Amino acid sequence: MNKTEAVRAVIEAAPREPIVFTTGYSCRIAKHVADRPNHFYMTGSMGLAASIATGLALAGRMHAVAVDGDGSLLMNPGCLITAGMTADLPLVHVLLDDGAYASTGGQDTPSARADFVAWAKACGYASATRTRDPVELALLLRRALATPAPSFIHCPLADEDERVPPRVDLELAGHFRRFSRHVATL
Amino acid sequence: MSTVTLGAPRTAAGPSAETAETAGPAAPSGAETAAELADLLVEAGFGPFFGTPCGILAPLYRALEGGIGLHTVPREDAAVGVAVGAAAAGRRPVVLMQNSGLGQSVNALASLAVPYQVPLLLIVSLRGVVPDPTQENLVMGRITEPLLEGCGIPAFRLCADRFPAQIAWARRVAGMEHRPVALLVPPRLFGWSA
Repeated sequence: MNKTEAVRAVIEAAPREPIVFTTGYSCRIAKHVADRPNHFYMTGSMGLAASIATGLALAGRMHAVAVDGDGSLLMNPGCLITAGMTADLPLVHVLLDDGAYASTGGQDTPSARADFVAWAKACGYASATRTRDPVELALLLRRALATPAPSFIHCPLADEDERVPPRVDLELAGHFRRFSRHVATL
Repeated sequence: MSTVTLGAPRTAAGPSAETAETAGPAAPSGAETAAELADLLVEAGFGPFFGTPCGILAPLYRALEGGIGLHTVPREDAAVGVAVGAAAAGRRPVVLMQNSGLGQSVNALASLAVPYQVPLLLIVSLRGVVPDPTQENLVMGRITEPLLEGCGIPAFRLCADRFPAQIAWARRVAGMEHRPVALLVPPRLFGWSA
């Protein structure tokens, strides 16, 4: 599975639920695959995608999806503590782990010996699973969207993406309003 | 924005303003002042509340934990992130933090809350401001207000006798102008001493 296949699987499995895409290639790929109003492209603030999705799930009492990256999660691993603190938090935390800081030149992330699934479990997530297959990812995600508890899906990515789309250049304030308006309909 | 009705603008609030706040034997206790602020914030439609603990804010923290509810987030920038999610869900969230945590939060504000025009209220305590002499807080005390101004986040120091007007102002800026706004807590507002 590469990042494009993983993002596509998430978008197909969550057509209406709010999805927060982390900065870098995840945002760019998501906007290119399908630019839907349930998408929030977090173009800066690296590390905060899962925190934003946690706030949505907590305050909106609705399922929210975070598409996180390994570099991003390493920047704010405390987001796992906050999500795991609320046993009935309807959060689905998807980690796309390519082992690299892809958008800054592909430098290795310093997590080769870290076990992200174990982190999520230790922080209180009700389920933490791992998949390397996009069909299984969609299945796990749909199951998580039917579970009123924090779920974590670790996706190690072994395959290269063919081509990464250009930077997200939306007007950001308008983008947030579009996202909020969609969330208000849920 | 109107600075006249809200009290002294940030830059004018110096030691004399601090002294005035502690005057009079009939002055309410820090806990009472904090409880009043908490109630007014809720009445104005603010919430949910997120925060990272701070000594100056402890009475407000206690007042909120007592019934209204407050979620502790272990780092201030992550609290800003969670609050952005709550705002996307249609709420008017509040983030309580010490100004040291404001330093921690600069990127969350500069690259998320400000450019996405997210309506949220920051309640930021002022360590390193008179009468707090602790050396490790002086730099942040000095740069808190210029930093907020540089981020484009309007801010006022809270005064106990002007809470309703100051909260109404914060609500107007967050709700109508769709942007983050800050209310600052001088050390003595809830009775903190060095």
